Amino acid sequence: MEAVQVQTRDVLDVSGLVRRFGDLTAVDGVSFQIRAGETYGLLGPNGAGKTTIISMVAGLIPADEGTVRVAGRDMTPAETDAKRAIGLVPQELAIYPDLTARENLKFFGRLQGLAGKDLTRRTNEVLELIGLSDRAGDQTKKYSGGMKRRLNIGIGLLHRPTLLILDEPTVGVDPQSRNSILESVERLSVEGMAVLYTTHYMEEAERLCDRIAIIDEGRIQAEGTRDELITLTGGVDRINLRGGGSTARAADALRGLPAVQHVDNDGAGLMLTVSDGPTALAGIVTGAGAAGMSVTSVEIVRPDLESVFLHLTGKALRD
Amino acid sequence: MHGLWTMVANDLRQRIRDKSVFIFSLIVPLALMGVLSLVFGGLGDDSVDLKPATVIASADDAGPLGAALLGAVDSLEIMDVTVRKVPAGEVRSETQASGAALGIIIPAGFSDAALSGQPAAVQLVEGNGAALETGVLVSVVQGIVDQFAAGTVTAAAGGAAGLPDEQLAALAREAAAGPPLLTLTEGQAAAEQLSLRGTLVAGQAGLFLMFTVGFGVLGLLAEREQGTLARLRSMPVTGGAVVAAKACTGFILGAVATTVLLTAGSRLFGVSFGSPPVVAVLVLSVVTAATSLTFVVARLVRTAEQANVAQSILAMVLGIAGGAFFPVQGTGFAATLLDLNPIGAFIRGLGISAGGGSLGDVAGPVAVMLGFAAAGLVLSRVLPNRGAQA
Repeated sequence: MEAVQVQTRDVLDVSGLVRRFGDLTAVDGVSFQIRAGETYGLLGPNGAGKTTIISMVAGLIPADEGTVRVAGRDMTPAETDAKRAIGLVPQELAIYPDLTARENLKFFGRLQGLAGKDLTRRTNEVLELIGLSDRAGDQTKKYSGGMKRRLNIGIGLLHRPTLLILDEPTVGVDPQSRNSILESVERLSVEGMAVLYTTHYMEEAERLCDRIAIIDEGRIQAEGTRDELITLTGGVDRINLRGGGSTARAADALRGLPAVQHVDNDGAGLMLTVSDGPTALAGIVTGAGAAGMSVTSVEIVRPDLESVFLHLTGKALRD
Repeated sequence: MHGLWTMVANDLRQRIRDKSVFIFSLIVPLALMGVLSLVFGGLGDDSVDLKPATVIASADDAGPLGAALLGAVDSLEIMDVTVRKVPAGEVRSETQASGAALGIIIPAGFSDAALSGQPAAVQLVEGNGAALETGVLVSVVQGIVDQFAAGTVTAAAGGAAGLPDEQLAALAREAAAGPPLLTLTEGQAAAEQLSLRGTLVAGQAGLFLMFTVGFGVLGLLAEREQGTLARLRSMPVTGGAVVAAKACTGFILGAVATTVLLTAGSRLFGVSFGSPPVVAVLVLSVVTAATSLTFVVARLVRTAEQANVAQSILAMVLGIAGGAFFPVQGTGFAATLLDLNPIGAFIRGLGISAGGGSLGDVAGPVAVMLGFAAAGLVLSRVLPNRGAQA
């Protein structure tokens, strides 16, 4: 197998990527880089352009504009050397149902250039990693959905790619298998593999990704670490007060507190935007009570990526 | 090349494992051959078995020709004939009553009249059944009488020329005793025509080849539907290698299935297709043609289901037009179209091969099949790509 030398610090360098389908611009000037050992997340709702970006990065479709360089080599559909550096885990299952897990792994391993003892050893290692050693000889059409998902990922890992590309790998997976998949990705990152991970699950992006790009309508709306992205919202917390009594008078009273930036009254309670919610909470509950509101429950919501997405695009992540 | 053969081996393993290739490429066509053979060809071989026949004859002629005529009928090699002599007046009724195949009335003085150049007539009475045996006997008698007529014409010509009577009789005898004008010889059909069973075997092999090669290139659609095509395209193999691997798979399956069908068909139905090398060239040519057609289909359809429908329609049209079920003939432009049908060319080539034809003799059908393949490949490059290769 020909070794692919990493020529640059960035394992993946995407620059000015554009892809159009007729009148629709699915990807519009996307640029980002991923370093070795880094897990980079593309977070966005369905239809945001994540899979189209992945398709160009993996050399499945050409870009209309811009470049993709993987391990220092230009990636295009005709490029085979750059493809040795990637392991793709497509969103849809990509395994042969009439073959066993071992046969699936060996087939794709051979195409990646593995052979002989290397192939056998890596096949066994991956089967162990994805927890399918005891079912390796069964045809995959007899597998559960979670087992198929794990094999789908295992095939992408077999040749120890420099860049692992995972396109929504946990869609339709049961919680146990999902956790297993996330743990595997965390391990790979620790071992130094660069990972490009797309998801529309905020929790996965927060758990796995060193840096996250928030994608919507084919563009990167913001990029950075989780904490960097959260600061885009102004770093404010939300406090929800539920209860009865005079909520209107309470709202007026609370607007006068220094920590409170904004108050909404929906009739059944108040939603407040505050800086440093835990510190301000005691004064807010006391003020609401003094204004005639009988508070029955209190909730502090810290800012998260959902808040960031809402802040940047004006819509919820799962819209 | 390593990637190409890895993909071919993988495809073949899957096709063998899912067993559909065995069903559609071997079991169904062999079963269909058997059924069609029973429907069109009966249980025996292609030769016709003539039943024993009885001839009722009057022999009032005292000369040699009447006796010679009955002797010839009695000693036919192609069927067992019994000649029973009765008075001339009873020939008709006895033929009708006994169920004989034929009645022959040879009038008195028949030989003398024929030998002297005078008009002479033999009356025939067909049996009630008027079966195949009757037709054969009528033809035989007609041939012998024509021979006698030659002697009569010769004698008449001699008389007109003023030859003496002795010489006229000698000439007439010589003419009548000459080589027969009509002979019956058992033999094979024309060089480009297979027997009924041979046509069925070759036709079904050609027809189902169209389905078998579909397991190759059209497999791209199945790969796309099960998601593996995207993964293959992310591997360090070219897109051309992926398509070529499918074509190789279809070609190998087609060549093996057609060879097995011809071999099994020839054993089961007692058909010989002639020289194995010539047959091999014909098989490879028709498989090439069929494979090229799958490239065209793969270009046009979007789903595996559409591909199956399109492939079935093409297989049936080409198979029926090629003579897979019964001979189809046309004139003018239609005849030219039929001649360009690869399955028709395949059956024609096997006919030539079965008749002892060499590689040179099958050059025409081979050229038709390879030309079809070339046209298919060109067409597949020209057509807009909306299918599996998109």
